Amino acid sequence: MSAADGRERAGWGTYLLLGAFTVVSVFPLLWTAVAASRTSGRLAQSPPPFRFGRNLGRNLSVAWTEGGMGEALANTALVAGSVALGTVVLSTLAGFAFARLRFRFRGALLLLVGATLLVPPQLGVVPLYLVIARLGWTDQLQAVVLPSLVSAFGVLYLRQHLVEALPPELLEAARMDGAGTARVLWHLVLPAARPAMAVLGTLSFVAAWNDFFWPVLALTQTGNPTVQVALTGLGRGYVPDTSVVMAGALLGTLPLLVVLAVFGRQIVGGVMRGAVKG
Amino acid sequence: MLAAAALLAGCATDPPVPPAPGAGSPVPTAGRPVTLTVGVYGTFGMKEAGLYDAYMRLHPDVAIRQTSLSRTDVYYPQLLTHLTAGAGLADVQAVEVGNIAEVVGTQAGRLADLAHAPGVRREDFLPWKWAQARTADGRVLGLGTDIGPLAVCYRKDLFAAAGLPTDREEVGRLWAGDWRKYLAAGRRFAARAPGGTAFTDSASGVMAAVVSGAPLRYYDAAGRLVVAANPAVRAAWDLGAAFARDGLTARLQQFTPDWDRGFAHGRFASVTCPAWMLGYIQDKAGPAGAGKWDVARAPRPGNWGGSFLVVPSAGPRVAEAAALAAWLTAPEQQAVLFERRGSFPSARAAFALPAVADARHPYFGDAPVGRIYSAAAREVPVAPVGPKDGLVNQILSDTGMLQVDQTGRAPESAWRAAMKAIDNALDR
Amino acid sequence: MTEETARRALVPVAAERVRPRGRPLRSRAAPYALVAPFFLLFAAFGLFPLAATAWLSFFRVDLTAPEARQWAGAHNYARLLGDEFFWNALSNTVLIGLLATVPQLLLALGVAHLLAARLRGRLFFRVAALAPYATSVAAATLVFALFYGRDQGMVNWALGVVGLSPVDWQNGPWASKFAVASIVLWRWTGYNALIYLAAMGTVPPELYEAAALDGAGRWRRFWHVTLPGLRPALAFTGAVSAIGAVQLFGEPLLFSSGAGASGGADHQYQTLGLYLYEQGWVNLHLGRAAALAWAMLLLLVAGFGLVRLVRGGRGRGAR
Repeated sequence: MSAADGRERAGWGTYLLLGAFTVVSVFPLLWTAVAASRTSGRLAQSPPPFRFGRNLGRNLSVAWTEGGMGEALANTALVAGSVALGTVVLSTLAGFAFARLRFRFRGALLLLVGATLLVPPQLGVVPLYLVIARLGWTDQLQAVVLPSLVSAFGVLYLRQHLVEALPPELLEAARMDGAGTARVLWHLVLPAARPAMAVLGTLSFVAAWNDFFWPVLALTQTGNPTVQVALTGLGRGYVPDTSVVMAGALLGTLPLLVVLAVFGRQIVGGVMRGAVKG
Repeated sequence: MLAAAALLAGCATDPPVPPAPGAGSPVPTAGRPVTLTVGVYGTFGMKEAGLYDAYMRLHPDVAIRQTSLSRTDVYYPQLLTHLTAGAGLADVQAVEVGNIAEVVGTQAGRLADLAHAPGVRREDFLPWKWAQARTADGRVLGLGTDIGPLAVCYRKDLFAAAGLPTDREEVGRLWAGDWRKYLAAGRRFAARAPGGTAFTDSASGVMAAVVSGAPLRYYDAAGRLVVAANPAVRAAWDLGAAFARDGLTARLQQFTPDWDRGFAHGRFASVTCPAWMLGYIQDKAGPAGAGKWDVARAPRPGNWGGSFLVVPSAGPRVAEAAALAAWLTAPEQQAVLFERRGSFPSARAAFALPAVADARHPYFGDAPVGRIYSAAAREVPVAPVGPKDGLVNQILSDTGMLQVDQTGRAPESAWRAAMKAIDNALDR
Repeated sequence: MTEETARRALVPVAAERVRPRGRPLRSRAAPYALVAPFFLLFAAFGLFPLAATAWLSFFRVDLTAPEARQWAGAHNYARLLGDEFFWNALSNTVLIGLLATVPQLLLALGVAHLLAARLRGRLFFRVAALAPYATSVAAATLVFALFYGRDQGMVNWALGVVGLSPVDWQNGPWASKFAVASIVLWRWTGYNALIYLAAMGTVPPELYEAAALDGAGRWRRFWHVTLPGLRPALAFTGAVSAIGAVQLFGEPLLFSSGAGASGGADHQYQTLGLYLYEQGWVNLHLGRAAALAWAMLLLLVAGFGLVRLVRGGRGRGAR
């Protein structure tokens, strides 16, 4: 990952500007923590607080129990994990078929998948809701997981990647050896696709964690909320305590931030690699 | 969420509710413990008043869990989608009066008939309240919890600072008989108002209170929408706009965090005050406001808000849920709810109970809220409610009057905007 | 590098040459078996709702009784054309979209340029740039809503400190759009900066060397070498941002706790996505919501068609 025109060493101006950008990027998150450590009474005063207070533990525990953030975090981890895993598996299988196998309607099907990239998620929610309702899936996590597995981007991305990373001669050689589909998948496709799978998995996980529109419709604060649903409830809810709302926001964001801090290098690399291909 | 409010209200130390005679006849539950869920919005108060705990003591095999959403405009669409889906429902659900006509009109097939639930007696209830939840073929889909007879809550300290009387009788006389006198009092207040305070919270609050006294509001008795042509609605609008024009409001939107902060910081000196508002004020103004607030009679009688409990028939425990709904809305429990939380009974049989008639509210300077609200309830006009009452009301307030109040939009132009929004929302 | 991986992976396959197992890849069924799981779900949760929405959009359907629908023909679409709330939402969507996207992409470009320099703590800056991306819509909007509070918000406090008068960020027609757009801006600038940074890495270094030999300064090199190399990335982020703008929903929904789906008292920041939600889930008109959904799709398709048309003469697009 060599810097593009990074031949010159960064001057103090660069550091100053980047520092400012970093402050702006991080400040709202830091202030969420500050607000979560105060009382709503203090937050209602001007000027706003800039230092930590002593109520963090209390607010977190109220948000955790009364705000349902505990349950919501568990639900979200389950949803985001399933979505990431499922999307990667489905996209890899289909992406490989589109990249290297010949079958009828291949072009037409690929076009169809590509066309849906444009479709806003709002488009299908009305009938989707009716179907979910008919199946009795309102407030059930599969109502959120299953529709999210359909990732047109994922299929196209994996296809694109495999077109470049899986030379046809390799497949031809495997065929000559009489390797079955499962073996080809395991020994050729999987290793070749792994970097793209990691990128897709990361992006899908973050997207599912933060998914908003559909979960807010399909789930309710009182049923089986994800973090976003619970936060919506907290934010629009009968909560006498702004600091508790902020504690909820903090709880809902913290896991991803921790993941970002720990796997920063990989995630940055993932976003950048996804971009070059995307 | 509500438990946080409960902490403020101090209900944890409340004495247990005495077992209600005659109510709560045990329902056979096949010996297995059942968990009943109750879905409510806002501060409904049944949990805070200890009613669930009392019921669970009466029925050791029943556990009650409450789920709460904020505003009815969030709660109600969710309830409808769940009803049409037959899934995701609580065993007992609350319905606001602004939505009850639509629920009765469109959801009859999905709700249980509560007319003959154990302990339910038609003559216990106010006749019009009973009728609002009754279908054309005589099924009763909702049991009334409370009604919203009107008073005015005010801050004695701010009134005193502005040279207004503070005694609740005198304050009541200040504006008795005419909402325009409330406006005049507002002008007097404004002339000597303590810095950073306004006379009332919002123009919408005034409008809602005035309109709640009209015998005809948004629909006529035949079910036609008359909001645009109804002079009573227009008069309420004009009065609300007058408050905004004269700068007598704190320019807050009701039921938002900013409004809550307005209570907490004493930014306004009075608020039109249906009985259920008492609980809000107590929660939002908190300990800092204790002893500062008082309750006076409203200029004119009115009925703002109030709710019902319904039981979805798709649930697995309809009989147990109906028994719970019946018990929660029985006169004795409504009296407790009033005593503890201020929600005024829709069961007229409760009016005479000492818990209601003699009730005084310590938070509001021991105001005789029982006497004040009982008197108001006797004069409540009975207006027809239509299917979209809640939506119309919300648009008038949050689209129309809010702009007059907060952005200074001309009342005439804001009125037209509200009418357009109503037509659009009702797909007319 | 990936090719090497794949090549090394061939070894075990080759070693098994003696006794082939499993069905041969040539099997006609194999491709279908591979795409089937995806397309099964795609049909159920992608295509079916799409078609059903189209179907529903020709009915009068109320959320109170979705099974009791009345044929309405083109009524819902005709209604849309004369619906000033629709046009208002469309114009809000475009304006908020522009307010959010244009500064965002420009800023991202600048940040990418900064990040491309040889830096100490390079990883730190990159990870920090991604922090907003990891923050959810709901959490970000709740914090920003507090920042933009009329009476006690930090922004108005800061304005007061420098001697400016407070702004009503909820009610101001422009102020509210700016405020909503700023949430989008905050969340996505760093992410886009990394995308540009990656694209900068694909520009061949020789081009820079040649430009440097020609005596081009840093900014001229950026303008003449980097920017042309970024065209695919610019097109990609532009397209993604446009799609995101049309679908904007969570930010305006949560921006003011009192406004809900109306997008402000005067609908001043109601976007198309929010209007769809209001029509379907507040006003309960599912048919009109469905028509609105299709209108949104058609607008996007028309928009992208227009872009292609304009660029048509200049050869192939981004990919």
